[in-house]
Amino acid sequence: MADRRRVNGPPGGTRPPVFASLQESTTGAAQRAQRQRQPAELRKIFLKTGLIPTASGSSYLEFEPSASLAAARSNPKSLIPPSSALKVACTVHGPKPLPRSAAFSPNLVLTTHVKYAPFAARKRRGHIRDASERDLGVHLETALRGAIIAERWPKSGLDITLTIIEAEDDRWWGDAPDSHDASWGMMNVLAGCITAASAAIADAHIDCLDLVSGGVAALVSDDSSKSASSVPRLMLDVDPAEHRSILSACVVAYMPARDEITEIWLKGDSSKAALEKGDVRSSHEALIDGAVDAARGANTVLSEAVTESIARSIAQA
Amino acid sequence: MSNQRQASSASQVPHLSPAELSYLYTSLSLPKNPIRPDGRSPTQFRPLSAETTILPGTNGSARIGFADGTQAIVGVKAEVEKTVLAADTLDSRSLAQHGDALNREGEEGSAAVSGQGEWVQMSIEIPGYRDDDALPIFLGEMMRESLVGSVEHKDEMAGGLKARLVINKRWHWRLYIDVSLFLPLDLPVSATDIMQVLLLSQPLSYPLPLLSLTTHLALLSTKLPKLKSTGEEDPFFDDDWAAAEYLYPRSKPSSGAFHPVRPPVTLLVVSVGENVIFDPNREEISVADAVLAISITRSHDSEALKLLSIRSIDPPSRLTQPGIPNSENASMLGAAPTENPSQEEVTGVWRPRRGGIKRSVVARMIKTVLGKGGVGEEVLEGLEGVEVQ
Repeated sequence: MADRRRVNGPPGGTRPPVFASLQESTTGAAQRAQRQRQPAELRKIFLKTGLIPTASGSSYLEFEPSASLAAARSNPKSLIPPSSALKVACTVHGPKPLPRSAAFSPNLVLTTHVKYAPFAARKRRGHIRDASERDLGVHLETALRGAIIAERWPKSGLDITLTIIEAEDDRWWGDAPDSHDASWGMMNVLAGCITAASAAIADAHIDCLDLVSGGVAALVSDDSSKSASSVPRLMLDVDPAEHRSILSACVVAYMPARDEITEIWLKGDSSKAALEKGDVRSSHEALIDGAVDAARGANTVLSEAVTESIARSIAQA
Repeated sequence: MSNQRQASSASQVPHLSPAELSYLYTSLSLPKNPIRPDGRSPTQFRPLSAETTILPGTNGSARIGFADGTQAIVGVKAEVEKTVLAADTLDSRSLAQHGDALNREGEEGSAAVSGQGEWVQMSIEIPGYRDDDALPIFLGEMMRESLVGSVEHKDEMAGGLKARLVINKRWHWRLYIDVSLFLPLDLPVSATDIMQVLLLSQPLSYPLPLLSLTTHLALLSTKLPKLKSTGEEDPFFDDDWAAAEYLYPRSKPSSGAFHPVRPPVTLLVVSVGENVIFDPNREEISVADAVLAISITRSHDSEALKLLSIRSIDPPSRLTQPGIPNSENASMLGAAPTENPSQEEVTGVWRPRRGGIKRSVVARMIKTVLGKGGVGEEVLEGLEGVEVQ
């Protein structure tokens, strides 16, 4: 659907010019970002609730910038940042009565909106939600509906709105899409959205079975030589800008207390993974387990943030 | 408003009473041999009729109809388009001209054209839904991501569908896959009734398997005009339609498989209790504990099937109305309603499903699809049996 209400910027996006001579002098300018973390090491998460006073619940989530991004910020060599780090703001409005015209619902009616800010990605996003944003909204709704105890609010609605302020890249900015290219950044965004929305729902005092958090695991092959012998390895919480090729990735929304998955989204060819010797799991199971481990890690941050939110609401009362 | 709200969910609210839901759940969760309302076995699909190449104005088309009158028609159209490299991609071709020192940099940003996922566009039209509602978009993205995601490492169609769409470095094909779903309209109806029928039939069975199988057949029958130009020339095609080449190449009848590479298939799998059930109809899906859409394709390196994507779908059972046990029902004689309704399960009383799925259940569902002699092989063999003209 075309946006006819605004004067929109150029769809292709613009970037500052990079002169070939400049690249020659500062060889580091177009250096590919490298993962500095261990395969099972997660990025740090900043999560804070209650920053938006008009909403009944809100949260703000930020991923730690990658090492190369931090280096580029302190010592800029190029105008183009090497990678990006996720920033999400989430508001929860409700539970509020459904409009009079609405049909009876015995359960809480959940509505999720995920929207990228126009400046969130390297390419400008329009003001109207596109297909991928609606798709994210459906994924998020599936993840949250399994956790919320919906029958405690009949005839009510709950609106959850997420604004992506900075999104993750799908690949390193200098690469043309290769044969394994897909919107891998979206999967990180979804995991962040799930964790942020869960914190905001807890901040709004909506009854849940457990705190649901999101985690990502991926099979990446980092060999620069394009030999067929390169074996993809399992890594947790991948930043797509730091890897040459992502073969397969998986997002889960996970509730640790019940050991249950409310949402699973796996895509890509996971058949060629190299697992450790003696590992009898098939590679897709290993991928799901990896994503669950990442979600467990995010859950520790989530429970801290929720404890903080409750302490604040007790202090106010 | 409420219709719009509910339509924003990928699932549909079932119109069954708690007693009916409980009965259905009990019979479907019987250990070992579930009893399905239409008497099928857990892995049996509904009978369907299929035909291909039905629309003369398209590059490829197919129709599949179920016995209840639900039909899906898919048309595939292809257009030649100029390839635009993303503005921020390091273009090795231009950088390479600046001497040897830059060649290394040029290799960093590989600008080799290997096809982009956006070149395949999918739109799905389901009566009763607006084109920007979440369900058609969710279904479309689900099928598109497995279509463009399957990458083969073999001589034929190396790089998968995306690479097949590349003409040369400057030109490519753009593929439009348009799916229309038709619902049974066999009653003599007036115009106002039609509106009602469309709305009433909105919560039909989850249309995913129908759409996926039809798209599979349509892509197999898709032909692209034969390229006459070579190399980096502007593309120029043979105008003889009889000389056109298939999008998914066909081998000579003598050399085994007719289609060496086939598009992936998305299957809808639900779990009820301990059982795993395939191709659920509307009633069955409304009591499911978990619903997964699993895309598979045949791997060419080995005989095993390959998993391309898994997506969980919001089970409609979470939206159902709970039943009230007799002990809490005020209208039952001699029973005093308690102040705090108990939260535990009472046998025979429906409770909406809560929570998620265990990892072991996910693993079992995948195994039923992928395993040797499993449902995936059966479906692909069945599709291979369909003669695509």
